[in-house]
Order: sequence, then C-alpha cells, then structure tokens
Amino acid sequence: MLCELITNNTHNNNIALYKCYNANKVFYRKAAFSRWGNKVIENEKNGYDWFYKDSEPSINVRLNKKYFYELDIPQFKGKRFPSESIISGNEETIGRIIDFYKGQWSTKDVFAIHGDLALCNFIIDKKNIKLVDWEHFHYSDKEFFGYDIVNMLFILIGHESRRTFRLNKRNMDFLKKCYIQLIEGAGNNNKILEKPFQNAKDYLLKFKDRFLTNVYKKFVLAGSPLSVLEYFDSIVTD
Amino acid sequence: MLAPQHNYTNLSSAVGLGLIGFNEKDIVVDYGCIFFDSFVYASRLCKKVVGVIPSSERRNTLQKRLVEEDVKNCDLVNANYNEQHFNEVFDCVIINCFLEQLLFEIKHDKSNFFDGKIRSKKMDNSLDETGIGFLQTVYKGLRPGGKIYLSYANKLRINILFKLSMLEVMSFVLSYNLRKYLGFVSFIKNIYLLSSYLLSQKGLEKLLKSNGFVDIEKYAVFPEHKCPLKIIPLSRLDECSYEPVQHLYGEGSLRRISAGVKRRVDRIIFNKLKLFGLSPSFIITARKAS
Repeated sequence: MLCELITNNTHNNNIALYKCYNANKVFYRKAAFSRWGNKVIENEKNGYDWFYKDSEPSINVRLNKKYFYELDIPQFKGKRFPSESIISGNEETIGRIIDFYKGQWSTKDVFAIHGDLALCNFIIDKKNIKLVDWEHFHYSDKEFFGYDIVNMLFILIGHESRRTFRLNKRNMDFLKKCYIQLIEGAGNNNKILEKPFQNAKDYLLKFKDRFLTNVYKKFVLAGSPLSVLEYFDSIVTD
Repeated sequence: MLAPQHNYTNLSSAVGLGLIGFNEKDIVVDYGCIFFDSFVYASRLCKKVVGVIPSSERRNTLQKRLVEEDVKNCDLVNANYNEQHFNEVFDCVIINCFLEQLLFEIKHDKSNFFDGKIRSKKMDNSLDETGIGFLQTVYKGLRPGGKIYLSYANKLRINILFKLSMLEVMSFVLSYNLRKYLGFVSFIKNIYLLSSYLLSQKGLEKLLKSNGFVDIEKYAVFPEHKCPLKIIPLSRLDECSYEPVQHLYGEGSLRRISAGVKRRVDRIIFNKLKLFGLSPSFIITARKAS
C-alpha cells in the first residue's frame, strides 16, 4: 500500500492524515502518534458514527485500535473547497449547507456539535453532502442549535475580509439572509441565535474542554474582540 | 485552561514510519538509532526493536529516554553498522539518515559501503551488479518479504559525493606511478559510479535493486525528514498537490518575509515545475524479494 502524508500534527493534535492507495482503492487514514491522539481519533469515530448512522448507502469508517489508533475513512466523491474559501461565489453552496444542517441536526435523537464546521470540511455533489473532520465532535444540548453554522460564517467572514472584518454590502446582506434561514429551524429556548456571534464565542470558551484542542490557537472566534462580534450581531439581527 | 496534550509523549516526528504499516508481531532493527522518536514509535507498535548504535554516548542517552518511556521490548547493541550480530530474522529495517551513516563510515575510514566489490566489478561498467557491503548485511538480516525504510537529507548527497571523490583522488594519486593508464580509467569510472548513485534520481534505487530489493518506492519529504509535514510518493505525483509546508520557528517580520519568499519559490519549483529531485529530503521503502 502506498501512502501520501497530507498533514502532520496540525494544531498539535498528535495526528497524521495520510491518503492511501491500495490497488485501485483510495481512502484516508488518520493515525495517532500519542495517547492524546488516540483520544482525539476515538472521538472522531464517535462523530462519524453519530452523523452517518442510518445513512444510505452506509459509510464504513473503521477504527483500528493498535497501541496508536488508526481511523480509515473512505474517499467521498464530490466537490471539495479550499481551506481559505470565501463567501463571494459560494453563496449557493452556503445556503444549501444551512438547509442541510437544519434537516440533519433536527432529526437526530441526540444533539451534537461538529466543532469545526467549515466549507473545507464539506464534500458536495448534486445529490449528497458529506461532512468530514469530526475531531472536535461532542454531544451537547439542543439549545445550542446553530453554533456550527455561526462558527462557519465567522470563518468565512475572516477569509472574505482578509482578517480585517470589513465586508461589502452584498456580503452583509447575504449574512443576514443566512441568519434568517437558520433561525427558522431554531427552538424557542435557543441560546445561540439571539446574539449569534457573541453567544457562539461564549459557548466555545465555556465548553472549550469538549473540543479536545487549544481553542484559542485553532478557532478565530475564540480570540475575536467583543466589538467585532457585536458589529456582526447587529448586522444580522437588525 | 489548555487541553492537556503535554501529558502525552507526542511521536509525530516518526510520521514517516506510518508508510511501513507495522504489525504487532514484527521484529524490527534500527541501524544507528538516529531518531529516538522513531525508535520509541516502532517499539510501541512492534513485538521487539533492536537498536544498533555505535556510539556509547548516544546509547546512554537513548537508554535514559527508553527508561522514561517505559520501553521494555528492545535490545541495544553497541556495534558498527556493517556488523551482523543477530540470530533473529527481522521483519523491518529502519535506517534514518542513511547518507549520514555513510558519511560516518567514510570519516572513520570504514568505507565498507563501497567496498572491494565495486572495484572488482567496475570494469564492466554495470551499476546493476554492484554490491554494497552494508546493504548486503541488511539484506541478509531480513526475512523474505521484509521491508527496508531509508530516510536521508538531499543536501548530504553532495557532501558524501565530495568525500568519496576525495578518497578516489587519493587512491588514484597513490597508484599513479604504478599503473598509469588503468588507474586513470578506473578513477574516472569510480567518480562516475559514485555520482550515479548519489546525485541521480535513480541512483539509490539502482543500488537497492542490485542488492536484492524489490517494490522500491521513493518519497519526497518536506520540510525535512527529521519531522516531516508532507510526504509525497514520487510514483503518484499526478494525483498529489504540493502546498508548501514549513516549521514555524519564532516570530518577527524578517522571518515572516523569508518564509513567504521560500513558500513562493517552493510553489514554483514543486507545484509548477515538478522538480521533486530538489526536495529537501527523501524516504525510500523497499521489500526483500520473497
């Protein structure tokens, strides 16, 4: 079997990601290089199990518990997005993802957070939407519906504005449209969507241990100043 | 509060060994034990690891690390690389810094790598039939189907070529008066052989083939083989996308600028021109024919 190392120890996760070529079959392997990495990989497996439970056709994500754990993930077919994806040009996809989120997350028996929902973790074709990278998966309360989408929008804002957090009117109108689309699926006791960006940051910091990473280093949202979050909250909720 | 990653030894620098796919029944030998993380990683995944380590000083340091890590399934042998001491047959041989070890041998005038066999066969000018003492020792120690893992830095190829060429020059000068003409031809051919092995893309591959290894895979390693962040199989270049990767050491605008320049240059060299022969390091894996 031939392997390509795609990433190693990103954000100090003690995990390597390989792309493996076995005869004509291609799959991805996440391999731990410490016992901490084992914990993260086992958590990721839980995420896949939660998300792809009852999926058709079934998805075979295999956990191999050697001294250091390995997780084999099939290669999904569809369009991939770069990690620095922006809002402009991706509006239709983002709208589709929000609809997908509302559908998938509201039908599960137990509510959960993906933790790192970003455009680059989606693989999309005409019929299906697949979601990968479940390292930060954790169970949570349904009151926090919307966290993942708000986090994704904030990542997109950062990339679109090149970290200046200044957007043009078209982008701001689109953000508002996303918010309206999302709030339609929320319950009355929702704890995120009243002030989406501020509350998402509060959630991230309050439950940082659940993310199994240093949230300050990994997530832009964790270190963003209150003024920026207030500004975007006012844009989408007004 | 940070997530407690620091409570666990992170062996991420041994990521290259993930290409091997160890089995829990494997018995492995590490020639040189250059990277301690690799040694510990192999010990975690295999039944037993034997370390061949010529320097007593390094051996003591490794032993200390092994006690800290509570590694018990290992033996350390104080010996030179070309000596065979084992009754065991190995499933895998690890040789990190292969060329560095070659350099070590040359420095200590133990040039068993390019031993008498080169000299006896060089006249037929056939690279394929050239035996290398060290690789033959490795070959004999492996079970049929057993794997070899070599890693080395690209820049050392030049250094080693230079040192070996100097040896050849010395030998030529000493024998000049005795056999003038033959000595000169032999000198030119030796330089040619050495440069073929060490500078050409296929040199080491030929060397392995001529020593009985098959299924040879060569990988480009970035930014260095001591702690790889990206490993690309050269036989699959069409399917791989190269995005420059660097270790981030410290901050400061000068470092940022130089990192930015390097990233752009790397993108041109590897992404556009596909000059993977200029990769900073390489890994080679191969198998002993069954």
